[in-house]
Amino acid sequence: MSNLLHLLWTFSVLSVLGFGGGKGIIPEMHREVVESYQWVTNAQFTQFYTIGKLVPGPTTIFAALIGYMASPGAPLLGALVATVGMFVPSSAIMVGADVMWERFKTSPWRLIVSRGIGPAIVGLVWASVYTVSKGVSFPAAWPIEAQNWTNLVPYVTTAFVAVAMMRTKLSAPILILIAGALGTLFMRQ
Amino acid sequence: MSVEAAAPPQARVTPPSLLQIAATFAAISSTAFGGGQKASIRQQVVKQGWMDRDEFMDGLALAQVLPGPNILNLAIYCGQKTRGVPGAVAAFLGASVPPFLIILIAGALYTKYASNPWVHGALRGASVGALGLTIGNAFELSWDERDDWIKIVLLALTAVVVGLYKMPLLLVLVIFGGVGIVHEFLKSKRAGKQAAP
Repeated sequence: MSNLLHLLWTFSVLSVLGFGGGKGIIPEMHREVVESYQWVTNAQFTQFYTIGKLVPGPTTIFAALIGYMASPGAPLLGALVATVGMFVPSSAIMVGADVMWERFKTSPWRLIVSRGIGPAIVGLVWASVYTVSKGVSFPAAWPIEAQNWTNLVPYVTTAFVAVAMMRTKLSAPILILIAGALGTLFMRQ
Repeated sequence: MSVEAAAPPQARVTPPSLLQIAATFAAISSTAFGGGQKASIRQQVVKQGWMDRDEFMDGLALAQVLPGPNILNLAIYCGQKTRGVPGAVAAFLGASVPPFLIILIAGALYTKYASNPWVHGALRGASVGALGLTIGNAFELSWDERDDWIKIVLLALTAVVVGLYKMPLLLVLVIFGGVGIVHEFLKSKRAGKQAAP
């Protein structure tokens, strides 16, 4: 029971702080669910984040998977509680804001706030790169030798996806599936 | 697009039923991925005459300013504008229940097959892919801030204190968000002065 309350509280706080579409909450979420509560491992955290990017809907739906693991006695309930925590508080704010919005809409503060908070969100996304990388085990790539050339595949895949995401129209799930296929072929050990 | 432009400005039809709202957002949330969703919502909502384009764009701006996934916030706005709070609840359920069910299936498959070596390899590869996506996203977002060196310094500092020193999110938003807002405010004031005759 107390686990469910911890889940609800943890994700509710993240929900309320999820400015910028929730892009910035990954490092804080990791700190709570991997380091403090140890509900999931580094590898699981990154894999769940990956699944969140693969399925339709908001990425932060992967909170459900963390809730699922955090509540072994009742995984479905854990998933539900985490999802409610992740989505309901921010949604309630959205409903409540509608009234104030009519006044705020034309105010210059609207742009000042959303532009002003931008650099912090982008910095948080860079920190997320570090967070997500903790769950990926890169093999030693140096020195390069003919018999272990597959060690290079994870590095090349990372670079390929980053560039393809910026330079092509391939969607995030397609790129993850391509990377997954490369993984099945070359990253089994 | 041309259909929209040709429609008379007062083309609003009767507001949708709660079921229609839920079904519309359920269809979008379970099929559209990432960037495509805003466009599909706009198409559905404006084309069906639930609201006009300006009202929709207001909602998009609000959805982006407030915390929470933009798509979910936008769905709630559309539900609320057409059918009040019950509409907002219908939109919330429509936009969140299908992704929840889909990820539950993914979770069940995960617990069953994650230790299979082939699946394990696929998960490792996919994780590397998600890392690449995050890097690409970070580069793109940083590029948008490139014309203002103070913002670049701010975002770099944020990345360091969060990544290396684990500064709590609330503190990050208050300090770095706060400095960013003050900076943006001073900039708009300066721009205002220059523009004055």
